Amino acid sequence: MSRDQIIFVAFLFVFAVINIYLFGSDSLSADWAGFGTFLAAGITLSLYSFLYKDNPLFKFAENLYVGVAAAYTLTQVWYTVLFPDVVEPLSGLDSQSMSNLWLIVPTLLGLFMLTQLSSATFSWLSRIAFAFVVGLGAGLSIPRTIAANLLAQLEPTMQPITPTWEGLNLLIILVGVVTVLVYFFYSVEHTGPVGVASKIGIWFLMISFGASFGYTIMARLSLLIGRVGFLLEDWLVLELPLF
Amino acid sequence: MKEFLINIDRRIIFIFVALGIIIPSLAALRLPIHITEDVKAIYDTIEEVGAKNGTILISFDYGPGSLPEVQPMAIAVLRHSFRKNVKVVGMSHWVDAVGLAQEAFEITSKEFGAQYGEDYTYLGYKTGGGSLVINMGNDFHNAFQKDQQGNNTTELPVTKNINGLADFDYVLCLAAGNTPDGIWIPFGQERYKFKFGLGCTAVMAPDQYPYLQSGQMNGMMGGLAGAAEYETLIETSGKATAGMGAQSVVHLIIIAFIILGNVMYFLYGRQKGGGQ
Amino acid sequence: MLFLRRSLPLIIAFAVGMIGILVYYIPHSGAQALEQELTTWYRIVAAFALLLGIYSLMRLHWNRVQRQQSGWGYSFLVFVGFVLMSIFATYNDGQGPLNPQVIDSGPFVWMFKYVQVPADATMFSILAFFIASAAYRTFRARTPEAAILLVSAIIVMIGRVPIGEAIYHALPEIAQWMMDVPNLAAKRGILLGVSLGAVATALRIIFGIERSYLGGGE
Repeated sequence: MSRDQIIFVAFLFVFAVINIYLFGSDSLSADWAGFGTFLAAGITLSLYSFLYKDNPLFKFAENLYVGVAAAYTLTQVWYTVLFPDVVEPLSGLDSQSMSNLWLIVPTLLGLFMLTQLSSATFSWLSRIAFAFVVGLGAGLSIPRTIAANLLAQLEPTMQPITPTWEGLNLLIILVGVVTVLVYFFYSVEHTGPVGVASKIGIWFLMISFGASFGYTIMARLSLLIGRVGFLLEDWLVLELPLF
Repeated sequence: MKEFLINIDRRIIFIFVALGIIIPSLAALRLPIHITEDVKAIYDTIEEVGAKNGTILISFDYGPGSLPEVQPMAIAVLRHSFRKNVKVVGMSHWVDAVGLAQEAFEITSKEFGAQYGEDYTYLGYKTGGGSLVINMGNDFHNAFQKDQQGNNTTELPVTKNINGLADFDYVLCLAAGNTPDGIWIPFGQERYKFKFGLGCTAVMAPDQYPYLQSGQMNGMMGGLAGAAEYETLIETSGKATAGMGAQSVVHLIIIAFIILGNVMYFLYGRQKGGGQ
Repeated sequence: MLFLRRSLPLIIAFAVGMIGILVYYIPHSGAQALEQELTTWYRIVAAFALLLGIYSLMRLHWNRVQRQQSGWGYSFLVFVGFVLMSIFATYNDGQGPLNPQVIDSGPFVWMFKYVQVPADATMFSILAFFIASAAYRTFRARTPEAAILLVSAIIVMIGRVPIGEAIYHALPEIAQWMMDVPNLAAKRGILLGVSLGAVATALRIIFGIERSYLGGGE
């Protein structure tokens, strides 16, 4: 046996022993909840085995997850969108008001979209559905982006600057926004005053990228803390603090 | 030694990170938590809504991939709401939030005896994003004709008087993606002028500050630290508060590695191409 | 035929796009009703788009199984998960698929809680290890700009956790100021730039200049 195979067998052995102990000592209940926790711990550790190297246990858990998650999405789309918003109203057309009749249009468009999977003879129908979604999406977003992300953002940038700490902060924000925009404005050569402004813009960007990087590290570690908490408290059922 | 430090095996760093989390977790290390104004603003708003027996909307827009960061926020805000008799309507733009939202409601409603339909409801997932928000803004009962359990929203006590988004006293988005700045603010807050707050993953948090200063958002909880602040404010510690000890220790470990990396770089790396 | 395949989609995109813009500015109940109807349609078509996405994913794995490409066994596993979960969803804890979803019991809820949640949460948490290792390897103060980035990251990392206040009492305030002022300024600059770009792209779609959504071929 190779070294990796020995590690693999040892891992399974240790995992089995721990679970036999947990079930034997009633730390994990002998019901679906207990079995679920055991399975969840197995999946968690299988995925972490990737840290040693890529291996079949990792791939097993990963691919099982992909299938389950796809079916979960399909299920929610059925139970809270397609069934109540399409199938139910359309199947009771006679008893309902005229407004339900309009639902035939998006249903047809939706079915057109699925023709993309069919032969070339019909697949052009899907373009009509995509044109509707993309065109309407673009139209709805234009006035709202202008109002919420441009005008509403420019207004607080250009407030009167007073000789106070708040005023100083507002001035720094104004300088930052302008210089960052100058940096992204490539139509003018970045020399002279424009070069100075774009340099200041880079400093602002670096502070914000550093902040984003720090926050990203924080986020990933929080996720790991969550999983470690699951293994220690839910699976091993440890009474914390241990020391 | 020099060679070892320059070309440190990544698995050694992995072990340090793992121990930096496991040991403080086992010791249940607790540290005092600093409250920021952005989190306090959300807390204060829930208090205000409670004082007038109002209704809030919580949009659960995250999945299991960000559960440790965002779920503690959901639980803390729901605890606070039920304690103050704030009525809660839940919904999701994210499909895999459904099971998590249900769990959060289940845990907290039992603690406070909150009644389904009277005190809270969960409407489930709907497709559409911005379109859904426009729909809800114009005619709430048309967008969500039924809750997830098949009850008519025109008949449920908690939703029957909600005709549009403007009827909510507060809209709180709990997010792990672009739903606040891509959906709720441009398609909702901008037009229907409701008070809007956000709880989000730490990855997203730095991008949200422009909306805080412009007032389009009145408060924000960012990441596990934000959740821990909320738990501290409601004086009910949960998973976020418990995680802050480990978070502190492991941050110090990573900073130590960054400093070590830079020291090695300035001592030896530059002649050797940066010790890549 | 070319009209149906090429011109008609462009006309539809233009028409619904213009309606989408105009109804925003027309404070008339008729315009609002039209907006309500169109957004309802959009929501429903979007649901079909999700079906299309799921089908594409499953077809990809099905092709791997059929051609017995290397690692096809894992693709088969995707089907095992998918079929099992779909059966549980249809069973709906005894209620069947034509009733509201049972949300607090049954094998479907169990699978979500004990398979999907731990797998998804763990996969994202693995990144913690790699980001730590990457920080050691690549986070170097090679230039003044890189040094600013590094210092900013470190201040945030200490200032945002409880130990920061213990190390130096003003650290949380310094971190807060950094987020509230210079970070805000840079993020707003980016936001303005990105939003202008988004509006331009949306206009290009409506006027048929950007037409990649039509896909290839005639």
